[in-house]
Amino acid sequence: MANPAKFFEQIGRRTASGLDEMGYATVLFFEAIYWTLTGWRQRQPVRIAATFAAMVEIGVAALPIATLLAATIGLMLAIQSLYSLGIFGAEQYAFIGIALSVVREFSPMIMGILIAGRSGSAIAARLATMNINQEIDALQVMGINPNRFLVAPVLIALVVMMPCLAMWANIVSILAAGLYVSAELNQSFGAYLNDTLDVLKVDDVWHGLGKAGLFGIIIALVGVVNGSMVKGGAEGVGRVTTRSVVLSVTLIVVADMIFAYLTTR
Amino acid sequence: MATDLMSNGNRPSAEDIAARRKVIEVDRLDFAFGARQVLFDISLDVREGEIMVVMGGSGSGKTTLLRHLVGLMPPQPGKVKLLDKDMGALNRRQLLDLKRRIGVAFQFGALFSSLTVAENVKLPLRELTDLEERTMDIMANMKLEVCNLSGFGHLMPADLSGGMMKRASIARAIVMDPKLVFLDEPSSGLDPAVSSALDDLILKLRDAMDISVVVVSHDIESAFKIADRITILDKGRILISDRVDAVRNSPNERVQNLLHRRSEQIDVDPTEYLRRLAGD
Repeated sequence: MANPAKFFEQIGRRTASGLDEMGYATVLFFEAIYWTLTGWRQRQPVRIAATFAAMVEIGVAALPIATLLAATIGLMLAIQSLYSLGIFGAEQYAFIGIALSVVREFSPMIMGILIAGRSGSAIAARLATMNINQEIDALQVMGINPNRFLVAPVLIALVVMMPCLAMWANIVSILAAGLYVSAELNQSFGAYLNDTLDVLKVDDVWHGLGKAGLFGIIIALVGVVNGSMVKGGAEGVGRVTTRSVVLSVTLIVVADMIFAYLTTR
Repeated sequence: MATDLMSNGNRPSAEDIAARRKVIEVDRLDFAFGARQVLFDISLDVREGEIMVVMGGSGSGKTTLLRHLVGLMPPQPGKVKLLDKDMGALNRRQLLDLKRRIGVAFQFGALFSSLTVAENVKLPLRELTDLEERTMDIMANMKLEVCNLSGFGHLMPADLSGGMMKRASIARAIVMDPKLVFLDEPSSGLDPAVSSALDDLILKLRDAMDISVVVVSHDIESAFKIADRITILDKGRILISDRVDAVRNSPNERVQNLLHRRSEQIDVDPTEYLRRLAGD
């Protein structure tokens, strides 16, 4: 039988380590904001070119896969909505469920999961490799703040691009769902869009975009914290990369639930 | 052989060195990783224009000492002064100003893999100064030329050999014209010819730029060639810190063991060792 003292020791250690990571993430977040706002005064501005490069890498380069996923989600929602509402003979109201669930839930969450897998892992791997190669040490001894140089551009890029991607996913999903629903119900596509725009409020859109921004912060911080904690060589890089994706996705889902609870009831 | 090892032709005299300003002062530095004490009561100084080589076996604490000297670890008990500034007492801005006046070349180069060699060398200029692009190009090219890397600026770090990587790292370390340069294991992993060329480069830089250099090294021949003074660390303590001749002729057995690459553990009759392993 396992030693109960060891079991509780493990729980204690993991809790302490989790709190340590959360504290570090909080410091990183505020330091990145600090450098973004005051870096230019200290003649160490957050580089616009680096930020745009990160935005292109995180947002623009992800558009093809984001479009494919968004269209698939829209079609899937349309199929399921028509099936479930068909039980009550209420297929003509499918647009309500599709519009609200896409804009408030699916677009930000699916984009969050996509970007956590695509960019969060890349951030963690890049930082971990830089750590192992002493590149972070090199920045520090040169007097270049690593948070300003590495973290702030990525954080800004994610906070800006995640809502953009979620908005793009809204449009693609609703269009894809609209094409399917209007074809199935022999309804005009224009009428479907009209109904969708009627049912959606500006608050619904902001709800989704706000969540997407929050997910952007989660992805950036989890990636950076994991990348900074690397131990060992290539194996360590692989480990923190995987951990970063799993943790980001988990936190996105949990944050989504908390966000929905706090803002929807 | 002795003359070969003594080829630091411009080695200043002991009196000359003693008359110069101290650029590094370490006073009673202690450091522990948790319960494990790594540095014990380290006190040393480096003078202007001097090359100090810090040596010691694995785990002797030389990397930890270097990390304290370059500001990667804050001094806990003890004091580290660089260029008359107490590192423990500086605020963020003062520390930044100080770091602009030192250069560090890491053991494996620590060049940014996503930047070309020239961009790597220009990085401190780009991030820490308001110079125009053209001026930065000129300065970076000058330093690449000094390090025998002119024409290689467009390459990515992955395309460089080990020796070129070290020289590129040194070029980046000196691009801001520092007063103090730290080199971590510059000759490790290099063949003797390349290692010797790197030693010549270090001597050339010291003479041309009038900089003080701290070299952390395992390489005894290189140390004798370039050092004005050698500090040997053993289990976190300074075993000896003196002029090259004094170190070479030290009566201390552990110093001589290190210099002649003798180790108590390895210095065993192999047959006897195998017999003991087999339990006979």
